[in-house]
Amino acid sequence: MPDLVKLTIDGKAVQAAPGTLVIDAAKMAGIEIPAFCYYEGLTLQAACRMCLVEVEKMPKMMTACTLPVAEGMVVRTETPQVAQARKYTLEFLLTNHPLDCPVCDKGGECELQDMVFRYGAGESRYTEEKVHTPEKQFSPVVFFDAPRCILCFRCVRICNEGMGVGALGVIYRGVLSEIAPNHGDHLECDECGACIDICPVGALTSGIYRYQTRPWEMQHVGAICTHCGDGCKTTLGVRNNRIIRGNNRDHSGINGEFLCIKGRYAFDFYDHPERLQAPLVRKNGKLEEVSWSEALDTVANRFNQIRADGGTFGVIGSNHTTNEENFYLRKFAREVLATPHIDHHRTGDVTALVDALSGKTGRMATVADLYNRKAVLVLGADLAREHPLLSFQIRANYRHHQAHVYAVTPGPVREDKYAVASVRVASGGYFAALEDLRARLKAEPELVIVFDDSFKGPDVHRLVEFGESLGIPVRYICLVDYSNSRGALDMGLVPGEGGMRLDEMLAADLSALWVVGANPFKGTPGVPGSVARKARFLVVQDLFLTETAEQADVVLPAASAYEKSGTVTNTTGEVQRLKRAINTMGAKPDLEIMGFIARQMGAAGALGPWVPETVFAEIRRTVHGYDIPLPEIDTGGAAPTTPVNGRVTEAGGPRPDLIRSDHNGLFASGTLGRYSKVLNSVLEGRLDR
Amino acid sequence: MPNKIEDVFGVAAAIAKGMGVTFKEMMSPTVTEYYPDEPAKFEERYRGAHVLQRDANGMEKCVACFLCAAACPADCIYIEAAENTETVRISGGERYARVYNIDYNRCIFCGYCVEACPTDAITHGHGFEVASFNTSTLIKRKEDMLAPIPPGAKPPVIAPAGGPAAH
Repeated sequence: MPDLVKLTIDGKAVQAAPGTLVIDAAKMAGIEIPAFCYYEGLTLQAACRMCLVEVEKMPKMMTACTLPVAEGMVVRTETPQVAQARKYTLEFLLTNHPLDCPVCDKGGECELQDMVFRYGAGESRYTEEKVHTPEKQFSPVVFFDAPRCILCFRCVRICNEGMGVGALGVIYRGVLSEIAPNHGDHLECDECGACIDICPVGALTSGIYRYQTRPWEMQHVGAICTHCGDGCKTTLGVRNNRIIRGNNRDHSGINGEFLCIKGRYAFDFYDHPERLQAPLVRKNGKLEEVSWSEALDTVANRFNQIRADGGTFGVIGSNHTTNEENFYLRKFAREVLATPHIDHHRTGDVTALVDALSGKTGRMATVADLYNRKAVLVLGADLAREHPLLSFQIRANYRHHQAHVYAVTPGPVREDKYAVASVRVASGGYFAALEDLRARLKAEPELVIVFDDSFKGPDVHRLVEFGESLGIPVRYICLVDYSNSRGALDMGLVPGEGGMRLDEMLAADLSALWVVGANPFKGTPGVPGSVARKARFLVVQDLFLTETAEQADVVLPAASAYEKSGTVTNTTGEVQRLKRAINTMGAKPDLEIMGFIARQMGAAGALGPWVPETVFAEIRRTVHGYDIPLPEIDTGGAAPTTPVNGRVTEAGGPRPDLIRSDHNGLFASGTLGRYSKVLNSVLEGRLDR
Repeated sequence: MPNKIEDVFGVAAAIAKGMGVTFKEMMSPTVTEYYPDEPAKFEERYRGAHVLQRDANGMEKCVACFLCAAACPADCIYIEAAENTETVRISGGERYARVYNIDYNRCIFCGYCVEACPTDAITHGHGFEVASFNTSTLIKRKEDMLAPIPPGAKPPVIAPAGGPAAH
């Protein structure tokens, strides 16, 4: 480690690493230097002039956000000259800024408001009329009010650097300068809303949250986004049992401040008009609304009868439900229904990866590894579309650490822009491309390999063999689609000895098929299961009347991820806690539904209480790799699971042909995505499909 | 030892002084108010039931900034905000209060809401007859508190029946 630089800030002796900026060194010493345009992790701008400080032997005041520390430097931040500079800078920033705080969405959490309160002058000396331009709508989710903008360029930089999109820029000059979208009057971008969250004032506002409430009126609940497998933490603003907004301004969780359109806005499926709010039972060929007790009785009586008659049960679990629910479902199926026919839709071959890494530890990469490791190899997936957080991490790694990125993909990807090598391959050509890259990969100090469902079964083993032959530390990420695909596998929603697989169950003449939170009857072309139901009794737990639920005998309305507590495991195997944000009338968490069915069947004793915490305690005791430290997940963090040899015991192993990723882009999320107003309203979503 | 005659004179003087006050007040105008036969009179600053004001155009002054609710120590103000549109314009600002309730079960008439209001929308009126046998009638809605549209004002575009949708 290089020697620390010694300097003095406000009479305090401070030590900082060479290259540290004065503003950061002051922050470490507990001295606040106010700034708008400075933002950790983004390039320097020095546009706002708010961070001016006095430095001894320098003729003029310096911007602390661009000034690196130097040996013996003496900095003063509290002199009358600095106070005056701050006051006048704020007065200048307010030249055109309208004083409409009572109406502005940012009011109460506005950095300009806070700074003026703390450092500003009560009155302005300007008597000139303020320049007013009408508000513009850039997209269904982004609104722009130019007069409120203080031109700090944060939005321009986060879009260009953080997201790699570059959809925002500045047009005109001087007092007329304005932020403008890439397509003249509208945006075509990821619609992630990062620009809105990073805006220190209310210039960029969200079309979803707009004029709904004020920040202090909401409760903020940390939940895990239910859409893709990256497991971003989204802080939901809740008022009156309604989710009003999602963001992650507190930078907690594995994603820091990052969220894509799904995490930030696509919580809105929960109050879709088609949401099921009462159980349905098929009577005379038609699904009719009934009471919960009647529906549960129907299911329990039929299950008990089939059990007594010695019939066969099939159980299909979900990639969205919590670990607790999956664990309970498996236990229910194995111990009460006594069936080996359990499965769920696989979206990546994690089993093969765990298998191939048998006997090795610390080989599964985490989300943080993508930011910290020196080189990343992306195989197959278009990360920016399918796994935006992982893509964001790699991009940040490149910007901050100049990481070497290799992209071996079938089509052009966003990583091409900064990759040291981009290779286009046809399916089946991966290993040839990898051999070509072997020498360069061997020269890297370390590597993270990210692969999707282009690799399954023996290919995964071959890939691991390739990785191990490089002679450098290699870690792996097997991409899976949904919020808890990893959890569903880890909890053992897999066929037992002699058990049928998903496609076989759909085609088999089962006495009863129980589908929890999945839509296997969705007729995707080329996928088994587009057939009509064969099972004699079909029970479905879901949020909506999906293609599967439409064919059911009993439909039980389930709670969404934001309406229940539990834990989920993301694509990198990190466990995070979900907290209940709201309640939706009529719907119950899947765990509770299963518990009630067990109680009605008189089998609850064998399964134990259907309380998430109790079930999770049992998971920690019994599931391999899940003995994770509780403080980490209870404080909103993520705890990586430690895969052990043979963690998933599946008779015969998974069938590679059944492993299929849905390759959802940024604006799709399987069946759930169809019910999100936002995902369907943005222009790019329509272009994307 | 007090003299008996002194005693008598002392008492007589006290009675005369007291009666003097009585006769003086008998002659001066009365201060008793004949409420409820006559309306009660108030000082301007009296803090009675709230009135939500309108501007000269008849638009509501309230822009649903929630500052009154934030200032309220009794937590008795409930607001739901909505956006003014081209067709439905309720307030002068971009936003208006779709729902504005004050729970008079809890209100302590402290006047903090009036102080907090940046648009002078909420004011204390002189209404004081808020007692009720049924507490559920004590939650006053926006419609109960709004000032009448001033004469000669261009009336605002009235929201369609049932109010505009929340979003």
